[in-house]
Amino acid sequence: MNSMLIPFFCIIFLSSLHAQNNSVDDLSLEDMLDMETELTADVGSRSGAVSSLYSLSPTDVVTAQEIQHTGITSLTDLLRYFVAGFNAPETSVADGSDHIRAFTLRGMSPDQVLVLINGKRVHTSALLHVNGTIGRGSSGVDLDTIALSAIEKIEVLRDGAAAQYGSDAISGVINIILKGAEHTDEVSFHAGQRKKGDGRELAADLFVTKQLAYDGFVNFTLQIKQQEQTQRAGKDRRNNAPDYETHVGIPDATNIVALLNSDSELGNGANIYSHFTFNYRESEASTFARVKTAAYPKGFLPILQADITDIGLTVGAKGEIQNGYYWDISNTLGYNHIRYSMRDTYNYDLNPSPSSFYNGTLSFLQNTTNLDMKKHFNTIDIAFGLEHRIENYTIKAGDENSYFKSGSQGFSGYRKENEVDATRNSDAIYFDVKNKFSETFSMQGALRYENYSDFGSTTTAKMALSYFVLENFFLRSSASTGFRAPSLSQSHYSHTSTFNGLIEGTFKPSDEVARLYGAKDLKAEKSKHFTVGGVYQFNDENSLSLDYFYTYINDRIILSNEYELTPSEQNMYGINKVRFFTNAVDTRTSGIDIKYNLDHKFSQNATLKWSLWYNYSKNRVVSFNDNTTTRKNSFEQIDRMENGQPKESFKSILSYQYNKVTTTLNTSYVGGYRQVIDDVAYSFDAQWYTDLDISYSVTKDFHIALGALNLFDTIPNKWDSLDGYTYGYNGIKPYSRYSPYGYSGAYYYLRTNYRF
Amino acid sequence: MKRLFILLLLVVTTLNASFSEDKFKAMIIGKVAKYVVWNKKESTPYFNITILNNPFGSTIDTIYHNKRIDGKEVKIHYIDTIDQLTQTQSDILYIPNSQASQLQNILDTIKGKGIFTISDIRGFAQKGGMLQLYFISRKIKLKINLESVKEENLNIRSTLLRIAKVIKEENE
Repeated sequence: MNSMLIPFFCIIFLSSLHAQNNSVDDLSLEDMLDMETELTADVGSRSGAVSSLYSLSPTDVVTAQEIQHTGITSLTDLLRYFVAGFNAPETSVADGSDHIRAFTLRGMSPDQVLVLINGKRVHTSALLHVNGTIGRGSSGVDLDTIALSAIEKIEVLRDGAAAQYGSDAISGVINIILKGAEHTDEVSFHAGQRKKGDGRELAADLFVTKQLAYDGFVNFTLQIKQQEQTQRAGKDRRNNAPDYETHVGIPDATNIVALLNSDSELGNGANIYSHFTFNYRESEASTFARVKTAAYPKGFLPILQADITDIGLTVGAKGEIQNGYYWDISNTLGYNHIRYSMRDTYNYDLNPSPSSFYNGTLSFLQNTTNLDMKKHFNTIDIAFGLEHRIENYTIKAGDENSYFKSGSQGFSGYRKENEVDATRNSDAIYFDVKNKFSETFSMQGALRYENYSDFGSTTTAKMALSYFVLENFFLRSSASTGFRAPSLSQSHYSHTSTFNGLIEGTFKPSDEVARLYGAKDLKAEKSKHFTVGGVYQFNDENSLSLDYFYTYINDRIILSNEYELTPSEQNMYGINKVRFFTNAVDTRTSGIDIKYNLDHKFSQNATLKWSLWYNYSKNRVVSFNDNTTTRKNSFEQIDRMENGQPKESFKSILSYQYNKVTTTLNTSYVGGYRQVIDDVAYSFDAQWYTDLDISYSVTKDFHIALGALNLFDTIPNKWDSLDGYTYGYNGIKPYSRYSPYGYSGAYYYLRTNYRF
Repeated sequence: MKRLFILLLLVVTTLNASFSEDKFKAMIIGKVAKYVVWNKKESTPYFNITILNNPFGSTIDTIYHNKRIDGKEVKIHYIDTIDQLTQTQSDILYIPNSQASQLQNILDTIKGKGIFTISDIRGFAQKGGMLQLYFISRKIKLKINLESVKEENLNIRSTLLRIAKVIKEENE
C-alpha cells in the first residue's frame, strides 16, 4: 500500500505548487460563459444539489463530457473506467452471469449498491448469480440497460445511505442523471475490435430532443449495439476431447436500448415528469464443450441463450404549495425478464434428443410509489416522505425435455417444482433534516422506518457533520445504520437437476431438506457505517480529499456450501446434494479513498484535467452465525469475499484539450486477487491497464476519434501451478474468472459523433 | 507511474477557477449590466441592484463591494417581498427560484418601472422576464426575452444578443 501512496502524494504536492489565483474581476462575460461551474450532486441530499467536493458524505461525479471521451459503450465498463474500487469482472462459462455482469463497490456484494435514475430507485435484475463468480448469491442491477448517450452525469455516493433511500444502500449509491432541457440532437457511431481480431463491436446511438414551453422537454435516445464474442480458451486436453472449443471470453450479444426522458409544466408552478427505459438483449455464451461419446462422435458445444427484456417507467409530478412546501409524488415500475434456451446441445437421457430446448424464465417486477415533501426554513432544510413498494419474483419451468432426468447438457431447464410466484410489499416513512449552523458548521440527520411483509420491520438512522476548519480545509464525518432486505430471489430461488437418479442443486431456505441442514427464513442484513475524512483545496484548481470508511454487516446472506445427504436421507427424499441461502456470516469492510483533482486552463484554447484516485478496501469475514458454515468447510466462498477482488485500485485520468484535439489517457492499477479451486487458493498478480482516446473536432459539431482500451494488451497471469484440464494454466480456462478487466486483451476503436 | 510524474512536472497553469452556480449567478448580474442600456430620465447617484429573498448569502456584498457599473457606485438592496421594492430605486431586480410561484405577481408589480429583471426560474424568459440564467453541462447560459426588455424602454447591446439565446414570449 505504501509503495502506491508515496508517489501519489509527491504528485499532488508538486502540482499544487504550480497553481496561482487571479481576480474574478478580470473575467469578461465571454470568459464566464466559457467556464465550468463546480460539480454538484443531488444524491445524498434531499435539499437540492450540493457541491460534490464539499458534500457531507464523499460523492463523485462523472459528466457527459468525460463519458464522451472514453470510447466506452457500456455503463458497467464506464464505472469501472472512472471509479476506483468499482469492480466488474468479465466472466465466462458461468451460465446467466455471462449475460448480466455483476459489479461491486469496495469489494462488497452487487446487491449492496443502490442504483437510482434521476433519484428514483432502479429495480434489480431477475438473475441470481449462483455460479462461482464475483457476486455469487446476489441479484444486482443490470447497468447495461441504460445508454450512455442519454446520461447527463453519474453521481456516486461512497457511504451507507439506507436511512435516506432504504434497502441496498450499503456500499454506496449510484445516481444516474439523464440529459434534460436544452441539449442538442446527436448521432454517434462506434466500431472496434480486439487486437486478436475478434470481439468486434458496432454501436449506433441517436439522441433527439424536443423543446416544450417553459423549458420543458422530451428527449429520446436509441442505442443499438452488437458485440462479438472473444475466444481465449486453452487447449482441451480431456480424453475424447470434442471437435469444438469451449468459448472463454465475452459473449455474443445484441443490445437494443431506448430511453425517454421528459418534463413539462402543468401550470401553477407544478411539473409533470417521466422517464422510460427499455432494453432488449439477445446474448449467447457457451458452456463447457461435451466430450466425444459413441452417440456424439464429435462431441458438442452447448450454447446458452439469454433473451433479456428490461423495462423501467417513472411518472411523477412536483411543485410547490403554499408556505414554501415542495412536493414530489411519483411511481416507478421496473421489470426484468430473462428467457433461457439452449441450442446445439442434447439430453443424454432422451433418444432421440432434440438439439434445442426452452429452459424456463426468471422475472422480477418492482413498483415503488413515493411522496416526498421538503421545506427550507432559514438555515434548516427538512424533508419527509412515504414510500410503498411491491415486488414480485417468478420462475417458470422450461419444456420438460430440458429438465428430464439429466436435462439439457450445459444448463438444465427449470423444473416444475422450481416454479415460484412470490410477492411482498413494504412501506416506509422517513425524515431528513439538514442545518447549516454557521458558515462553517453543518449537520444532517436522517431516520427511516420500513416494514416488509415477509421479514418484518427495521429502523435506520444517519448523522453527518461537516466543518470548515479553514476556508479551504473541510472535515466531514458520518455514522449510520443500514439494512438490505433479502431479495425475493434469495428467499424463493431453486434450480435442481438430476444426476444418477438423485436430485441436487439450489433449494429454497424454506424447503424441508434445506431445513435439515440448518436453513431458516432469511432476515435482513443489518449494517453499521462510519466515515471520516476531509478535503483540502489548494486553490481553485487543485483539491485533495481523503476519506476513511468502515462498514460492519451483520447476518450477511450467502449461498451455503453444498451438503451431501446421508444415504438414508437420500433414500427418503431422493435428493443427493443441497445448498441454500443463509444469513451465515458477519463481515467487516474498511479502507480509504484518496482523490486529487486538477483543473487547469492554459492560455490559447488549452485545458488540462487530471484526476487521481486511490482506493484501498479490505473485506474480512469476522463471524459465523450458524453451525453449518465455517471458514474451513466454506473456504472457497469465504476466500472469494475476502480475497477474490483487488484490495487496491488506482486511477489516473488525464485529459488534455488543445484547440481541436482532445487526448484522454486513463491509467488504472488493480491489486492482486485470489481464486480457490478444490480448496487451494491461487494468487493472481496486480496489473496496470492503459486506455487512450484521441478525438479531433472536424467542425464544431462533428468529431472523430481513435482510441484503445487496454492499449498495451495487458493480460492477467494464468493459474500458477494449477494444471487441471478445465481450470489450469494449460487447461480450457487458463485465466481466473475474477480477473477485474477480463482476459480478452487490447480493444481498438474508431468513433464519430455529429450534433445536428 | 513515472510517466505520469514527469508529465505533471511540465504543467504550467493559469486560472480556471471553479465557482458554485450561485456565485456564477451573482457574478453575472454585474457583467450583464454592462450590456444593458438604461433610458431613464432621472439620473441617480448609485447603480441599484435589488435582490429579492436573497439566495446568495454574503456573496453579493463580497463581489460588489466598492464596484462601479455604468460609472456609478453599486448599491445592493435586499428585500423579502416584492411590495418592499417601492422603498428602493432599482436598476436590476434579481428574482430567485424560490419565488417561482409568485413570478407573475412580481412581474405585474414592477411593470413600467424600467427595471431589468434577471432570474434562474425555469421558463422565466418565456413568462415575461428579461434575462434567464440556466446551466447546461456545467456552463452558464443566458436566455433573453427582447420584447420584455423593449416594453420597459431598455435596450440590449448587440454583443450580448450574440452570445445569448433570444426567445419570444410564450402565449398562454
